[in-house]
Amino acid sequence: MNRIEEKLAKLKEKKEKAFITYMTAGLPDMEGTKEIIRIQEQAGTDIIELGIPFSDPAADGPIIQQASFESIQKGTNLTKVFNMLEDLRKDCEIPIVFMMYYNTVFHYGLERFVEKCIQIGVDGLIIPDLPYEAQGDLAKFLDKKGAPILIQLVAPVSKKRIPMILKNARGFVYCVSSMGVTGQDATFHKDVVEYLHTVKEISNIPVMMGFGIRTAKDVDGVRDTIDGAIVGSHFIKLMKESDYNLEEIKNYCSNFKKELNQY
Amino acid sequence: MDKYYGEFGGQYVSESLMNTLEDLDNAYEEAMKDEEFQKEFNYYMKEYVGRENPLYLAERLTEKYGPKIYLKREDLNHTGAHKINNVIGQILLAKRMGKKKVIAETGAGQHGVATATGAALFDMECTVFMGAEDIVRQELNVLRMEMLGAKVISVTSGSNTLKDATNEAIRTWAKEAEDTAYIIGSAVGPYPYPKMVKEFQSIISKEAKKQILEKENRLPDVVMACVGGGSNSIGMFAEFIDEDVELIGVEAAGFGIETGKHASAMALGKPGTLHGMRSYLLQDEDGNVQLAHSISAGLDYPGVGPEHAYLKDTKRVEYVSITDDEAMEALLELCRLEGIIPAIESSHALAYAFKKAKTMNKDEIMIVCLSGRGDKDCHTIAEYLKGRKEQ
Repeated sequence: MNRIEEKLAKLKEKKEKAFITYMTAGLPDMEGTKEIIRIQEQAGTDIIELGIPFSDPAADGPIIQQASFESIQKGTNLTKVFNMLEDLRKDCEIPIVFMMYYNTVFHYGLERFVEKCIQIGVDGLIIPDLPYEAQGDLAKFLDKKGAPILIQLVAPVSKKRIPMILKNARGFVYCVSSMGVTGQDATFHKDVVEYLHTVKEISNIPVMMGFGIRTAKDVDGVRDTIDGAIVGSHFIKLMKESDYNLEEIKNYCSNFKKELNQY
Repeated sequence: MDKYYGEFGGQYVSESLMNTLEDLDNAYEEAMKDEEFQKEFNYYMKEYVGRENPLYLAERLTEKYGPKIYLKREDLNHTGAHKINNVIGQILLAKRMGKKKVIAETGAGQHGVATATGAALFDMECTVFMGAEDIVRQELNVLRMEMLGAKVISVTSGSNTLKDATNEAIRTWAKEAEDTAYIIGSAVGPYPYPKMVKEFQSIISKEAKKQILEKENRLPDVVMACVGGGSNSIGMFAEFIDEDVELIGVEAAGFGIETGKHASAMALGKPGTLHGMRSYLLQDEDGNVQLAHSISAGLDYPGVGPEHAYLKDTKRVEYVSITDDEAMEALLELCRLEGIIPAIESSHALAYAFKKAKTMNKDEIMIVCLSGRGDKDCHTIAEYLKGRKEQ
């Protein structure tokens, strides 16, 4: 069973909400990335989105753009991330989702990329510039045993598209809570509560909310509707400001996970 | 495949823009069927832009090189280039859709100036995204945009140039699409942009075809235009694609293709996705987008419009490239022989035209799209000449 599905099934059994983080691979360096993943596994983070840096991250706000830029400057590329994960997978089973742009996959070669994900143990993919209609070329290779799940994203403006997008979706559905790009304020889109309800009603799989979340309190108003929260830009900022201090990262993650599940 | 040109084009954007693109396509298709819209577009083309512009037989060039060389004078349009054709079309559409604000990306500033112009004319709030580096290089156009009432936002991410300004415009659009129209300046971007830009720019070849038939009573043998993203060229080719006419697109070879400092996506690029489309793209071994180089800011783009990629693969259009030096030589020659100061972009097409002309005979006819005038480039030209003198 895919690690994401396995993890989410366990959480459902325990009636726990998922805590998911986003981090850019290669920061502060490859070794550091590995340590941050391990410490998060200890802290109780359920799933990690690992950002593969790209030169033109058009779906990201300034914080992730900057992280992406820095990581590329340090020489991070897909091959190095695969190598790092191969080593990590020897003793770390936390579900990992690659967050990347389509050109990186396309350039690497679709089939070769999927094969490599299977070999290394990449559990999911989030490709923000590959909307539902454009997924066919890649999806052809995702039926293979052990292939990563292509996570589907929906936005408040998706409306009538939601049933189509969720029809065959697996893993979890990523709900963009505000408009536009990552890292904006947690001021929710005006119809956000209603929208999350709609998604939850249609979806057969867990519903996660992302974009603009800093603390567990930010999801207070919609906690009953969602199955988990995703923290990206704020997490990147926090790590950078603490100079990637593992203790601080651990505390933030364990507190968030705890508060998210306190009623 | 719908929305594609062969394997190129498509919509590689975030989910939050998918409905926006569908609405835009529907509104566009409706407008195209509406005679009133066409009438309005044609009215502004004539009364405001100053069309039709001449198809001018360049006498002294013809005398020197052999075949008849006609220049399609887009440089005589209001704001000095072909960019305004597309801007008027897209802004009229935005108005029709009830949008109050427009945003645009710009590299050299020509599309930014055209958008600021259209926004002033139609009373819309205008924001132009421009790379911090381009803002320094194109100070005059920044002033022009501001005089026209636009807000120019300096983009400081990635390489601080056109591709980053485009990313920022896409990000802003994703947030504000409800009341904001994104006016893309070249034949690039997600579908339906390449289609819309082609339609609004095809006025170039509609006129040129009519004009050449009037003057020569036959079609030209060769038609050529410069290619950055490819808006003037797709407009110049549109009416000739289904005719027996040789079509040539001229990219910027910068310091020379072999130096790696160039902007020839067709010569060395590989298929990739950027700015919402799949097309030929300059990229490094990791699939990151490489910086283009050209002395002409308007050709300094790492990708190319998807229909051009398709026209290359189907061999309908031949794509060649011209170096900075060759383009500047042609620019100076047009100044001296015809009394026309062309944009450096357009000079790339001229430079190849002169090469091509040597292989043609006196009875043959060639049309070159003179996409813009060179006033904006005087500073760059002066620097270039100074540099050459010092060498």
